[in-house]
Amino acid sequence: MSAGIIAMMLGISTLLGALGLAALLWGLRTGQFDDTSKFLDGARFDGEEELKDAVMMEEKRKKALEKRRKDKRVMPD
Amino acid sequence: MSKISCDHCNLEFDEKVMIEDEIDGEKKYFCCKGCQGVYHLLKEEGLDSFYDKLGSTKLQPAVKKEDDLKKFDLEGFIKKYVKVRDDGLYEINLIIEGIHCAACVWLNEKVLHQTPGVIEATINYTNNKAKIVWDPEEIKLSKIIETIRSIGYNAYPYDPKLQEERAVKQRREYYARILVAVFATMNIMWIAIAQYVGLFTGMRRDIKDILNFAEFVLATPTLFYSGWVYYRSAYYGLKHRFVNMDLLVATGATLAYIYSVYAMITRTGEVYFDSVTMIVTFILVGKYLEVLSKKQAVDTLDSILGTIPTEVTVVKENEKALVMVENVEPGDIIEIKPGEKVVIDGVIINGSASFDESSLTGESEPVFKKEGDEVLSGSICIDGVVRYRAKKDFSASLLSNIVSLLEDSITKKPKIERLVNQISGYFSVTILSIAFLTFIGWYFYAGEFEKALIVAISVVVIACPCALGLATPMATLVGIGIAAKRGLLFKEAAFLETMAKSDMLVLDKTGTITEGKPSVITYEKLKDFDESIVLELVKNSNHPISKGVERFIVEKMVRGEGDKGVRWQGDKGVRWQGVKEGRSEDEYFRTHTHTHTSILKVEKFKEIKAKGMIAKIGGKRVLGGNIELLKEFGIDVEIESENSIFLVAIENELVAVFELSDKIKEGAAEAISKIKELGIRVVMLTGDNEKVAKKVADTLGIEEFYAKLLPQDKSAYIDKFHKDGHIIVMAGDGINDSIALARSDIAIAMGSGADVAISVSDIVLLDEKPKSIYEAYKISRRTFKAVKENLALSLIYNTFAVPVAVMGFVNPLVAAISMSLSSLLVVGNSFRIKLSDK
Repeated sequence: MSAGIIAMMLGISTLLGALGLAALLWGLRTGQFDDTSKFLDGARFDGEEELKDAVMMEEKRKKALEKRRKDKRVMPD
Repeated sequence: MSKISCDHCNLEFDEKVMIEDEIDGEKKYFCCKGCQGVYHLLKEEGLDSFYDKLGSTKLQPAVKKEDDLKKFDLEGFIKKYVKVRDDGLYEINLIIEGIHCAACVWLNEKVLHQTPGVIEATINYTNNKAKIVWDPEEIKLSKIIETIRSIGYNAYPYDPKLQEERAVKQRREYYARILVAVFATMNIMWIAIAQYVGLFTGMRRDIKDILNFAEFVLATPTLFYSGWVYYRSAYYGLKHRFVNMDLLVATGATLAYIYSVYAMITRTGEVYFDSVTMIVTFILVGKYLEVLSKKQAVDTLDSILGTIPTEVTVVKENEKALVMVENVEPGDIIEIKPGEKVVIDGVIINGSASFDESSLTGESEPVFKKEGDEVLSGSICIDGVVRYRAKKDFSASLLSNIVSLLEDSITKKPKIERLVNQISGYFSVTILSIAFLTFIGWYFYAGEFEKALIVAISVVVIACPCALGLATPMATLVGIGIAAKRGLLFKEAAFLETMAKSDMLVLDKTGTITEGKPSVITYEKLKDFDESIVLELVKNSNHPISKGVERFIVEKMVRGEGDKGVRWQGDKGVRWQGVKEGRSEDEYFRTHTHTHTSILKVEKFKEIKAKGMIAKIGGKRVLGGNIELLKEFGIDVEIESENSIFLVAIENELVAVFELSDKIKEGAAEAISKIKELGIRVVMLTGDNEKVAKKVADTLGIEEFYAKLLPQDKSAYIDKFHKDGHIIVMAGDGINDSIALARSDIAIAMGSGADVAISVSDIVLLDEKPKSIYEAYKISRRTFKAVKENLALSLIYNTFAVPVAVMGFVNPLVAAISMSLSSLLVVGNSFRIKLSDK
């Protein structure tokens, strides 16, 4: 077997493994594994409704922040 | 009678006691008004899919809480718990009570999401904690709490900056480091196997270079990211002038790494990257096992501070106003209502009431106080409204003093040096010097710098601190596991060792070796009467004596010895339900006693302070209380007893006599004699009087006891025992024990004890049995024995392996095999604890 192929195989497999590891670490850092049951319940229960909810919350947050910015601009001091 | 389940909470009750309701032409049954209200609310909001998600999970009945919501909007409260974010939104962390399943989480989140002004609401199912972000201009916190309550749950705040948040962060950090290390080690091992095979069969140089480089890529993050903890710890060790094992690990791993990089670049010799990752990973796992069970001692204060009200009612010129406790000055007049906690010391000027001083003395019996008497902060007003003049300001009051004493004690907690730390210091120095001497020896003997360096490194690598690093964590983890199965929670692994070394046990009396609450010891029925009348009477009072009588009668009914009047079927059904679900009696009482209306009507109930109570039940006048009460109503009674007496008179006729006393816990005497057999000195410290203390001590065979002690006195005794050179284990349950607990080497708290006591403690007894203290001694001694065996094993291994390495006979293969073998030995020996336990 040529050294080039071995190098390529090792390189790619390590890289793939490292990607998986990076994803796992990202999940850990952002607290996605803190609540194991919720993680699973998401798969069991979440549907269109929940998605809509999430969008609604996102919009609510934007609106609240927007409002705050505006209030600040209105006030000259 | 058939049983049906409540359509909200799914608990089963007799049909008779259920509330019937027709919703959309369908008949629904509810166990109480609370459940009915929640069902209607969810239906109206279109959230009734909750019930599909709920399935057959049982909930707590939705109890309507009439608690004042106002406090959530008070300045002091907001200052304490609410975090103002940079974007101006408010954030709070709450614990949601009553969550049973995923559907509950769903419902709470859903309802909060629909509430205008709530920007974010996430609930963690595993620990029932919620983070809520809201816009303070749109909604008030009290409204949010009200929303949660309206669907049958309750929420109270906690401060996440303290407590486990930090522990969780540390655990997560370790976990990430371990993940990287394990990933690298697994990959390096299969590359290394190819290398080992190459040792025997020969390998082309270019292939070897590629494998070396791949190992280098994997070993680098392991050493510098995962291994960072060793560098950090070695640095701090050196800064404080001592050599710890982390220094050995850091030196060994770094030297091996540098040498390997050199070997890789110059294409000479073998690389040791696999050993680098193995060492780092193994010891990191050992450290992680310890981090897993670590507690944060300093946070305890916040839980006691959390119970202190932030505001008190101050009366000025006949106007009442809520004033922050810090702003109250001596001389101010403070009003206190039933259920409120006294935060500032003072003298009563108007009114009288009973005060629960259990947090100061440990005794559950309330103390009656009238005009001119002193009230101490930390006590709780039970009945009556009292106005008193503040004698001190908040910071000088007893409660604040206890808190600052506690703060002081925690930082002063003695640290028993651990065996493994003592040994590893010497071990590290020895190995590092042997390696250095080997290097010099080989340099002069072989005259080759490179050869000398390889041999010296192999000495450090094979000395393999792995086994030594795993010796304690493995054994203690097994020990903690066994203890946990028996209801003994060790908060930190190191406590097993300290406990094993202890030679003195200090016990609190009330709540620790006695039940801590009055129980009926004799009951005399003088006339035939309906016992449920007495139950109805005592149910209305929170006095410990009333509770004792209530418990006695309910237990009697459950056993089937009570009057089996039909009118009790309802409550009995409920009670059985609680028992079947394995809920504790106290919990049962909290959720049920006042929610289910019974058929006997209680009218004109009145508590007469320090004497008893009077009421009209089922049309008859019923008196319940002590001798003075009956005398006041013209009933002459002659009874003498050193215990508390509870008399019941119906229509001015004495019908029953209950004698109550604080019972000694089951198996206490046996446990204490067994502990004494282990050669441990047993001492009892109590806030109770000399006479009672002597009686209890005599019964249990405790020769040494000290009575009438205040919280500070108890801790003074602990300090005195320390001066005599004792290693002290203290068991207690109340706030009054907490300072002493914090000062002792090992603090054992009862599972149902005060939060503060539990948080300063090192071991929590879930079953609260004195026998468990003996078990704790036994398990910790056995575990410590295993630790010593493990240390001996790894030292023996080194006395063989190191000389071989010094002579230069070690190649990478031998190093790897012997390293794993020694670690396996340690792990195997640790599991023997489990075997000997049977």
